[in-house]
Amino acid sequence: MGMEAYTVVGRIGEGAHGVVVRARHNLTGQMVALKKIPLRRLDQGMPTTALREIKALQEINSKHVVRLLDVFAEGAGFVLAFELMLGDLGEMIRDATRPLTPAQVKTYMTTLLSGVAFLHQHNIMHRDLKPANLLISETGQLKIADLGLCRVFSKQGKRLYSHQVATRWYRAPELLYGARHYDEGVDLWAVGCIFGEMINNSPIFPGESDIDQLCVVLQILGTPSEATWPGLSRLPDYKKITFPESKPVPLEQVLPDAPPDAIDLIKKFLIYSTNKRISAKKALLHQYFFTAPLAAPLHQMPVPLLEKKQPPATQEYMTDFPLHHITDAIHNHLDTLYMKG
Amino acid sequence: MYGSSTQYQNWTFKDEHELVKLRIQANSDFIEKFGINMTSVERAKHFLTIEEEHLMVRSYEHSLRDFCKKFRDPRDARIRMLPSVTTTAQHYFKRFYLYNSVMDYHPKEILVTCVYLACKIEEFYVTINDFVHNVRGDKKKAAEIILNNELQLTQELQFHLIIHQPFRPVEGLLIDIKTRFPQLRDPERLRPYIDEFLERVNLTDAILLYAPGQIALAAVTNAVSRLGENLDQYVTDILFPSEQRHHLSVLIEAVRKIKKMVKNAEPPLSDTVRREIEAKLEKCRNQQNNPNSSQYRANYSEWDDEDLPIAAAPYNDDLGLGVERIRSPSAY
Repeated sequence: MGMEAYTVVGRIGEGAHGVVVRARHNLTGQMVALKKIPLRRLDQGMPTTALREIKALQEINSKHVVRLLDVFAEGAGFVLAFELMLGDLGEMIRDATRPLTPAQVKTYMTTLLSGVAFLHQHNIMHRDLKPANLLISETGQLKIADLGLCRVFSKQGKRLYSHQVATRWYRAPELLYGARHYDEGVDLWAVGCIFGEMINNSPIFPGESDIDQLCVVLQILGTPSEATWPGLSRLPDYKKITFPESKPVPLEQVLPDAPPDAIDLIKKFLIYSTNKRISAKKALLHQYFFTAPLAAPLHQMPVPLLEKKQPPATQEYMTDFPLHHITDAIHNHLDTLYMKG
Repeated sequence: MYGSSTQYQNWTFKDEHELVKLRIQANSDFIEKFGINMTSVERAKHFLTIEEEHLMVRSYEHSLRDFCKKFRDPRDARIRMLPSVTTTAQHYFKRFYLYNSVMDYHPKEILVTCVYLACKIEEFYVTINDFVHNVRGDKKKAAEIILNNELQLTQELQFHLIIHQPFRPVEGLLIDIKTRFPQLRDPERLRPYIDEFLERVNLTDAILLYAPGQIALAAVTNAVSRLGENLDQYVTDILFPSEQRHHLSVLIEAVRKIKKMVKNAEPPLSDTVRREIEAKLEKCRNQQNNPNSSQYRANYSEWDDEDLPIAAAPYNDDLGLGVERIRSPSAY
C-alpha cells in the first residue's frame, strides 16, 4: 500500500512541516490528511521525533487523539495518513461570530482532559499542547494531534513560524527556566493556559519573547521563590535572569468572566511546582464538571467552517491590478511637487 | 499495555509452524522471482535453501549481539549500549527476516540498520558518524547503506516500533519475591543468571512466540534452579493462588518451552560453513540491493530530494494571473 491507494483532492496547508494534503482513500472513500516527512539523505536518517510520534500513535487508540490510519514510504521519505479534521480550537476561539458558551468550554475541557489522561496513562507526554494542535472534527469533536511532529519539521526550517511563537504561550515555567528534566506537568500547565484562553477569548500569557514570556507569567502568578517552588534555584537558567519582585494578581481579576469553580480548577493547573499540578484524571472529577451549566452535548458544539477566513495580513497585501499604476502616479505627483518647489 | 500492543497483535505468533511457513514463503518468493528461467536443478544449486537462510540469520543474530556488546561511543568510551537497545534490535532483525529473504537483503546490512533504528527508538542517542565508527571497513559507505535501508526496514516492520521487553517484568518479579517470598534468600544473587538468560533468549524464536512477562518468569525460575534452589511454591501459591489456577497450566507450559528453546539455542556457525554460505549468497543475492553493484549505485544516485507527487498536486497559489505582492507600509 502506498500513495496509489489515495487520490489527492486538495491542499490543507503548508507550514514548517511541508505539504499537508486532503486525500480520499480509493477503496473506502474515507477522507484523510496526508503529511509527508521528507528525508534528507546522508543526514541522520529518519527524524527521531517523527519516529517517536509514530511509535506512540501505533500503540494507542483513543477517540480523543487524532488517529494515525496508515504510514507508508514514498520516494525519499514517508507519509502519514491521519483522519481528516476540519479545523482547530484556535479557530473556534477566534471566531467572534460564534463566541464559545460556558457549556461548550466545559465540553472541550472534558475531551481535552480525557485525551491528556489517556496519553499520560500510556506514559506519553505531548509536550506541545496548544489550541492549534487540538483539532476539531466535522461533528465538532475535539481531538489531540501532532505528538511531536511540529518540532521535527520546524527544526528544518530556518525562519520562525507563527505557530512556534504561539507555542511559547503554553510553555510551562520550568521549561522557560531551561529545565532539562520535566514531566507530564508541562502538559497540565498548557491545559490550564488553554482553559483560560477559552474563557477569555484571548491567551492569558501572551509573551512576546522567551524572556517576556517568563515576565508575563511572573506578573500574574507573582515571583516564585524556593518556598513556593522547591527546586527553583537549581534550574539551569534561574541565575541568568532575575525579575523585580511582584505580587500575584488574583486569577479572578485575570478571568473576570469565569465562574468560581472554573477559577478553582484553573488554579490547580497554573502552579509553579509541577508535582502539585492536578492530574488530568483527577481534574475530570473536579466540581466544575458537575455544576450548571453542564457540558454541552456534541450536537450543540460548533463545527469548523468550510470557508476559512483569511487571517489578517501583517506583512503583505494582495492586489489584483498592476502596481506600477500606483507607483507611477506617486512619482508623477512627487515630480510635480518638486517642480513647483 | 502489552495486551493492546502491536507486538501482541501483529508479531506474536501461535507456534513455530507459523514462523516456518513465513520463512518458506519468503525463500520461495525470492526464488520464483529471480529463478524464473532456471530449471529446478539449477535453482537448487544457485539459491540458498531454507536451511541455509536459517543458518545465516541465526549466525548474524550472534553477530548482532557481539556488535552491541563491543559498541563504544567514540566521544566517551565509558558509554555502553543498553540491553534494551540490543533486545529491540534483535526483535527488528527477526521480524525483518520473517517476510524477507536473506538473498534479497544481506543480513550484515540489515543488522547494523536494525541497531541504528533501535538506538533511536530506545532513546540511546548516537549520531550516524559515531555509530559507524563501530563498523569495520569503509565508514562512509556504511553510513550510506544504513540510511538507505532505514526506511525500508521501518516499512517492513509495518512501522510497529515499540518492543515490549522482559526487563521490567523481571524487576517486578524480583520486588515481589523480596516482599512476599522471603524464603528465597537474597534474590539479587539471581541477576547474573537472569542477564545471561535474557541475552540468550534473543537468539531464539521464543521472543516471537511468548509474552515478555512469560520470558521474565522463565529467566527468574531458570536462575533459581541454576542456584540449586526452588521457586515452585512462590509460583503456585503466591503468584497464582487457587482461584487463578487455570492460568497456571498455560504459564507453566510456556515457561517450560521458553527454557527449552534457550537451552537449545544454536551456537554460532563455524567459520568454514559460514564462508561457504556467504560465497553462495554473493552470487545469488539481489544485485539491486547490493551496495557494491552498479545497479545499486544507479538506483540511489537518482534519489535526491525529489518530492512526492502530492507536492505537485494541482493547486495554484496565484489564482489571479498578473498578481503582484507589495509590502505593507509597516514593513518598511
